[in-house]
Amino acid sequence: MPVLNDKQKLMRKLQQSCFALAEANLYLDSHPTCKMGLEYFRRHKAEKEAIEKEYTEKYGPLTAVQSDGTKKWEWVAAPFPWERGEN
Amino acid sequence: MWQYEKKLQYPVNIKEPNPALAKVIISQLGGPDGELSASLRYLNQRYAAPCREVQAMLTDVGTEELAHMEMISAILYQLTRGLSMKEIKEGGFDTYFVDHTTGIYPVAASGVPFSADYFQSKGDPIADLNEDLAAEQKARVTYDNILRLTDDPDVRDPIKFLREREIVHYQRFGESLRLVTDMLDSKNFYAFNPSFDKK
Repeated sequence: MPVLNDKQKLMRKLQQSCFALAEANLYLDSHPTCKMGLEYFRRHKAEKEAIEKEYTEKYGPLTAVQSDGTKKWEWVAAPFPWERGEN
Repeated sequence: MWQYEKKLQYPVNIKEPNPALAKVIISQLGGPDGELSASLRYLNQRYAAPCREVQAMLTDVGTEELAHMEMISAILYQLTRGLSMKEIKEGGFDTYFVDHTTGIYPVAASGVPFSADYFQSKGDPIADLNEDLAAEQKARVTYDNILRLTDDPDVRDPIKFLREREIVHYQRFGESLRLVTDMLDSKNFYAFNPSFDKK
């Protein structure tokens, strides 16, 4: 396994959390009243929001509108994710 | 509307460039069963879905396919970094290079450019969802074939993730088809088109 830096480790946590949410999303599209599915969704939504907050505070915006827009346009400060080591 | 997130759905970090492999994997960007045709198929078909569950499914799977298109493009991008002219010629990449250098352009492995002929939008949800089930299986087979063609673990890992998603989408579209048929005449599902005929 490759050695990950702190930014990548946090990105892995975010990717895992977003993946759980994406799975719950598609499942709930066809099972919109499933209690277990809804509970799973709520749990991972709270987790994802906390990880995303930590990530954007440390490493910058994940969407253009998450930029603060103060001294410099933060959206262009961090690399795009198709670069090796940047995802 | 849509909003871009600066992250890949699943990581892509490839150490060894390999233009010959890029020339094969590009089929999952611009080929007949690739991620571009998948996203356009579902995002165009969704307007003819007869209930909100299936409208949501086509919207959300179609959106995920855009993220898969980005993963395939990241694989192609990383497989074609820092190539010498010798590597380009020996990898058989010269026929792509002459038109696109190392830019990303949607073609099939055979070199045929992407075409809307690769999908349908029939305005009938039973016809559309049956196409979608077949499309997910065809994409799964293409990923199986890619896995037969490479030993590089850095490439195999994201390709295996994408292969798994085809199986999950197939399951979800099966549920969608069931939801649609449950709304119809159980003695003849094809008695009318629920998205066109007045009942």
